[in-house]
Amino acid sequence: MKGGRWTTQTGSSTYLSEAIAIWLRDLRIEFRTRYAVNAILMFAVTTLVAVSFSIGSFRIEASEKPFLYAVLLWIILVFSALSGLSRSFVKEEEAGTMDALRLSARPQAVFLGKLFFNLTLLGALELIIVPSFILLMKYEIEYPGFFAAMIISGGFGLGAGTTIVAAMIAQASARGALFSALSFPLLLPLMITAIKGCERAAIGMGTAGWAEVKIAVAYVMIMMVVSLFLFPLVWEE
Amino acid sequence: MLSIWMAVIIVAAFLYTEAAVGFPGETSRILFFHVPQAWVATLSFLVSMIASATYLAKRNLKADYLAQSAAELGFLFCVLATVTGSIFAKATWGSFWNWDPRETSIVILLMIYGAYFALRSAVPDPERKRVFAAVYSILAFTTVPFLIFVVPRITASLHPENTMNPTQPGMDPKTLKVFLGSLLAYTGLFVWMLRLKMRILRLEGLKEPRFGDFI
Repeated sequence: MKGGRWTTQTGSSTYLSEAIAIWLRDLRIEFRTRYAVNAILMFAVTTLVAVSFSIGSFRIEASEKPFLYAVLLWIILVFSALSGLSRSFVKEEEAGTMDALRLSARPQAVFLGKLFFNLTLLGALELIIVPSFILLMKYEIEYPGFFAAMIISGGFGLGAGTTIVAAMIAQASARGALFSALSFPLLLPLMITAIKGCERAAIGMGTAGWAEVKIAVAYVMIMMVVSLFLFPLVWEE
Repeated sequence: MLSIWMAVIIVAAFLYTEAAVGFPGETSRILFFHVPQAWVATLSFLVSMIASATYLAKRNLKADYLAQSAAELGFLFCVLATVTGSIFAKATWGSFWNWDPRETSIVILLMIYGAYFALRSAVPDPERKRVFAAVYSILAFTTVPFLIFVVPRITASLHPENTMNPTQPGMDPKTLKVFLGSLLAYTGLFVWMLRLKMRILRLEGLKEPRFGDFI
């Protein structure tokens, strides 16, 4: 016994190795069922098609494009993420493997493993949706580097802000609706920042020291630290 | 005692002070009601967060009652501040709602409170419900700095601050007296309502089925 918890006899497993083991296990399960990937990607593709079909690439004036396209892109990304990210913990509850996971890994490692998995999903989502959006909508971007940094840091923020909420709602009733309701207020500051950043990257009005990317990175750091502190309380019986 | 004080403030707000220059008609008198309401909404958010942290550290039932009561009162005062602010916006800016940074942040605050109550009602196990609500309260509080620093970057605010800020020397002494009195009255009202709500929760808690009640 150490600090109230049983530790492994060999002492060889670290937080990171446990987290990576959980991450790889989740990826393997995901490759077999493809549930979360299908849910998120189909939602995103459907929304993208609806937006592209109803607006097209010529309806919005060129001067309005940078801002309105940034808004549409982030609405697609955030709501697609909200539609599928809760799966990471809900699937454990449904399969009845919560207790096994509690026994086999430390809470922080579980959190990190699930965070890595969610970030992988978000990476796949952004890799498919962002280029298709740019092509379909003829989104012209003056600073591609700044734009890419904003998309990536925003994606990290989406993962960092929602993973602990997913752990909570997996143990509650009315999961799907509750996940969006709880996550959205936490994500709103990030979303506003990311929209502003993408707009400035597209308009080319100076990167101004990449302020929006810095804010998003600070958001990721703060949410991760707070979540690592709070996760054991949510996770343990 | 509190009710007499409150009545004095209401009468003084309309009869003792003069309407501020630069605002249409008598609209500036909203200062005596809207600002203290917003202050109490913010205060109760802070109280709720501190009580939540206390509950997580000590697992003291009273701290959870305090967190829940403060959140409910905060929601009430948040709605009051939003409605009065919206009426003022219609009178001075010409529309009830235009996504001013202050309006944005109060809507996010309302959404956080709504999510907090949704979470509380969705977790069946009472112990877990309290822990989750406390965790969510702290999570939501950590995003507040982003709202304070990020949202004002997006658009300039029309919210009157410099003209009516009590820390600025420009405020009329009569107005300042009544304004501080009103702040005191609203804070007193908040404390009184908070204690009532906590008593209700405690009595309801006594009624909750305990282990052994089913024999």
